[in-house]
Amino acid sequence: MEFFKKTLDPVIALIAIAVLDVFLFMVVGAWTVGGGETMMTGLIAKAFMGDALNRLPFWQLVFVPTFGYWKIYISLGMLFGAFVGALLSKEFYLRFPRRLSEWVMTTIGGLLMGVGIRLAFVCNVSTFFGLTPEMNLGGYLAVSGILAGAWIGSLIYKKVLGV
Amino acid sequence: MSVVGQCLAAFIFGSVVGLLVQRSRFCNTAALRDAILFKTYRNTKALLVAMMILTVGFTLFITVGQGHPMHFDVGLNTFAGLFIFGIGMVLAGACTVSTWVKTGEGNFGAFWALLFTFIGMFLFSLVWSANYWPPAPTSMSGQPNLEALQFGFANAATLQAKLGIPAIVFGVIQAGVLFVIYRAILRKEAMRAGRVSEATDSPALGAQAEAAE
Repeated sequence: MEFFKKTLDPVIALIAIAVLDVFLFMVVGAWTVGGGETMMTGLIAKAFMGDALNRLPFWQLVFVPTFGYWKIYISLGMLFGAFVGALLSKEFYLRFPRRLSEWVMTTIGGLLMGVGIRLAFVCNVSTFFGLTPEMNLGGYLAVSGILAGAWIGSLIYKKVLGV
Repeated sequence: MSVVGQCLAAFIFGSVVGLLVQRSRFCNTAALRDAILFKTYRNTKALLVAMMILTVGFTLFITVGQGHPMHFDVGLNTFAGLFIFGIGMVLAGACTVSTWVKTGEGNFGAFWALLFTFIGMFLFSLVWSANYWPPAPTSMSGQPNLEALQFGFANAATLQAKLGIPAIVFGVIQAGVLFVIYRAILRKEAMRAGRVSEATDSPALGAQAEAAE
């Protein structure tokens, strides 16, 4: 099938995603990832720590670990859809970061993303595909934040990789 | 809608998104990073088009009181959190979407970033459990709370209620602003393409232009 041979124009892909996102907005709420990831963190922590997790008020007051949280399934769906897409277009293969600098940057980057999402109550997807199109004040705060952060991040990236 | 129905709708939505993002290699991080570092706009244009459609779509349904807008107080933490996130996503070379999509393609680095996103979230939950900031959703009032650095809640629906002007009007204005940015990028690209083709008219300069690309 042609779809799995050629790279799709991102504008076409994003038009389709935007239309679907409006449908999701009607049914449950706009596309978001951070909330689902937090719930998964809670579920994983509960699996390891059991009732000891109850000693942390965050998991009682902000996110009570439960499997019935729809946002989790957006992330799992993206994983599944990407896996199918990669498999059918013969683009699935295991690859690992080669240089130490990549491992370090990925580790620090991942940690910063996790902390940032929880501090803001918002992730980048909610920022661009939820809050800002809903004209929520938080969307404008978040866009300003992410632009400033991406700019600083780019300066660091330039220094480390020497591009 | 039942919980199972919600989860099913979310999963179907996610699957189609994962497939489309995988096939198009769209990346939110690249949409910002490439525009800043390399002045290339492949992903930025796609992001802007999506935001135009979403702004009109969401505000249209908000006007008639339909849909499920996000509802929580925002504040300085919203800015600060996304600032930290912005640095992190460029360093990791992936955002919340591409970590899942690239993991699905077998990219272990993306899985690693995802793992540490979870660890970062857990570390934050430890800090939150000590200082209870930013305020939990249950204690949000929707009003500014300067002591907690919170500005309250405002979106297209509150604008409509306060000013008596349909939300879609604001939506069309915002979509217009996004369109102006989009058009500026197209012009910039056209100008650059023009410069290159002008240069390629003379063979020696053409080689230089290609080398410069």
